[in-house]
Amino acid sequence: MAENEERLRRTMMFVPGNNPAMVKDAGIYGADSIMFDLEDSVSLPEKDAARVLVYEALQTQDYGNAEMVVRVNGQDTPFYDNDVKAMVKAGIDVIRLPKAESPEMVEKLDQDIAAAEKQFGREAGSTHLMAAIESAKGVLRAADIAAASDRMIGIALSAEDYTTDMKTHRYPDGKELEFARNMVLHAARAAGVAAFDTVFTNMDDTEGFYRETEYIHQLGFDGKSLVNPRQIPMVNKVYEPKAAEIKNAKNVINAIQEAKLKGSGVISMNGQMVDRPVVLRAQRVMSLAKASNLVDEEGNYLEK
Amino acid sequence: MQLLNLKDREVFREWKEFLESLGISNFQENELAQIDSTLGMYNDAGSLVATGSVAGNVLKYVGVCNKFSVHGSHFNTIISSLMNLLAQNDIFHVFVFTKLKYSQSFQHIGFNELAHTDLGAILETGDTDVKDYVHRIPQQPNQVDLQVASIVMNANPFTLGHRYLVEQAAAANDLVYVFVVSDDVSLFSTTERLALVQAGTADLNNVVVVNGGQYMVSYVTFPAYFLPTPDEAITYQTTLDARIFKNAIAPGLNITQRYLGSEPFSRTTGIYNQVLQKELAPAITVHVVDRKQASGQVITATQVREAIAQNEIATVQDFLPATTYQFIQKHLTTLQARIQKGMTIHGN
Amino acid sequence: MEIKKTAIAGTLESSDIQLTISKADNGISIDLQSDVKKVFGDQIESVIKDTLAKLDVKDAKVKAVDKGALDCVIKARTIAAIQRAAETTDTPEWEVL
Repeated sequence: MAENEERLRRTMMFVPGNNPAMVKDAGIYGADSIMFDLEDSVSLPEKDAARVLVYEALQTQDYGNAEMVVRVNGQDTPFYDNDVKAMVKAGIDVIRLPKAESPEMVEKLDQDIAAAEKQFGREAGSTHLMAAIESAKGVLRAADIAAASDRMIGIALSAEDYTTDMKTHRYPDGKELEFARNMVLHAARAAGVAAFDTVFTNMDDTEGFYRETEYIHQLGFDGKSLVNPRQIPMVNKVYEPKAAEIKNAKNVINAIQEAKLKGSGVISMNGQMVDRPVVLRAQRVMSLAKASNLVDEEGNYLEK
Repeated sequence: MQLLNLKDREVFREWKEFLESLGISNFQENELAQIDSTLGMYNDAGSLVATGSVAGNVLKYVGVCNKFSVHGSHFNTIISSLMNLLAQNDIFHVFVFTKLKYSQSFQHIGFNELAHTDLGAILETGDTDVKDYVHRIPQQPNQVDLQVASIVMNANPFTLGHRYLVEQAAAANDLVYVFVVSDDVSLFSTTERLALVQAGTADLNNVVVVNGGQYMVSYVTFPAYFLPTPDEAITYQTTLDARIFKNAIAPGLNITQRYLGSEPFSRTTGIYNQVLQKELAPAITVHVVDRKQASGQVITATQVREAIAQNEIATVQDFLPATTYQFIQKHLTTLQARIQKGMTIHGN
Repeated sequence: MEIKKTAIAGTLESSDIQLTISKADNGISIDLQSDVKKVFGDQIESVIKDTLAKLDVKDAKVKAVDKGALDCVIKARTIAAIQRAAETTDTPEWEVL
């Protein structure tokens, strides 16, 4: 687990790494995380060009507060080593490992990142990593994978490869992903890292997209991988806290402040003790509410 | 963007229907056979929206449906994908034949027009161009003051008929360029044909033998020279070939004369000669020289090739300079093996 | 770095630049085509030249077809084309990226 502070990761937008127009504009849609792809969206002869393009864009473009992620090519390809080196040198926030099937693969990436940090004079441990679960093997070892590195910030389910591995394909109701989603989510929570749901590719099926997003929100996923920026406000809407939740969260936050003022270690609200999960949820609701522009910096509810 | 397998009947049908809807109608067997690879772009609904093919270093069958494309973006995507595909095979010098109305679109993405007619245009792009080609041809220091002539020949192989044409030009001009057709699709290879022309004209000190490159009677400029083609297309192609010669080749070398052998036999070459006379004047004077005869017969390279096939080369000894005859004697079995393997001896 | 063969990088798509680099023996020459050449032509050429200089390429013929690329894209495509032309794609010069 790479961090203590909870970061919002509702939306992780995929950006093909060899497409300058998309790489250039990636920052304008307000995605929580931007994932430049050097892997599946880049054809074999363009791997080198995509790597250089993403590198140069990271040096010069302003992507605001978004968490910057790069999906490198797999460890079984000749592109992996140079991808990792270039991205560490570029100062990427997170390297995403595709087709993770064992904790050893994560450990290898961890070591390769460490070596690159040393080679290019970057702060040791400053580069985080995440793993994509894309096969039956990966799903069954998700818990070990999620806990395999101190750099780990999260694991993601990637359903296209996974359903192929399972000898099925994707269905609108998503039943074929039920087990994998729960495994990935439990592995992430047990390891204290984020859980990302897979992409939804049918851009014409808005209703289906909302249904799936509401479902994974209900399960407890941090957010969803996206292929189209139009999906960002849709996911954010699903993750938007309700007015009553915000009101309750504010009461909890007030109680914490009150306890602090009193110098008391015990937080109480309406005469009842507030325990840690309640505090955490309240903090999460408030950060979601701020991100959704439902409250201002002071936590005052903004009428829409 | 994906590679299309035109051998798949379903893929071929969709591809052909798409191009037909855009007004492309030439799907002749021999045109299709030239295609090395075809790319296609599909929309989200799975319909073809753009396609293009490559044949050697020539782009063909480029078709784009602009209904849903912003400012020709599909066009740019398909052309750069085709160029990247060619680059993987180390092909960087690219040509395209296109309808006149699309010439601007190609020029907009870095192509230079070599010539056009009302029917269409030919353009090139890449790491070299016709200026480089002309620049590499040896010149005399005082070339602007000289009367310079030119001959274009395939010379498959070089005969006394060719020699006669060169002699006529050499006698009447200060300098003669003999451009040898460069495509390697003849019984005698390009290297062999070039060497035989050089050997057969070595004694004429105002003659320079040059590889015709892709700009003269090549697969690029004039595919009908090598393939059976209707008259209309031959006229179109030869017009382009003539205009490239007139506009892009001749001025840089101060060429003002062109020599042709009269053409009693080949329909294609006959049309070519007529078009050259019409197109090159008045900047370039065209001289048609009657064919040389030997033993009462017009000399043709076709007869020489037939004699090789029949193993009767002594019958054509009178048609050939000693250098060509010796070469054939020495390499007879190799040449016959090429014919055995299917190399055609008819055509050019 | 020595240009060993012709190489191409980039595309003709919007916001990109297609760069063809080939051998030359008398310095750097750049043939640029761009809709914004009048205003940005010098800027585009100087990014290409700076990148060539950084990678120590002294002789090269460059053909560039610009479709509105940002400087970082021009630089990236120039680097990719040089590495392909010099056959060093698998062993990038990390220090000059």
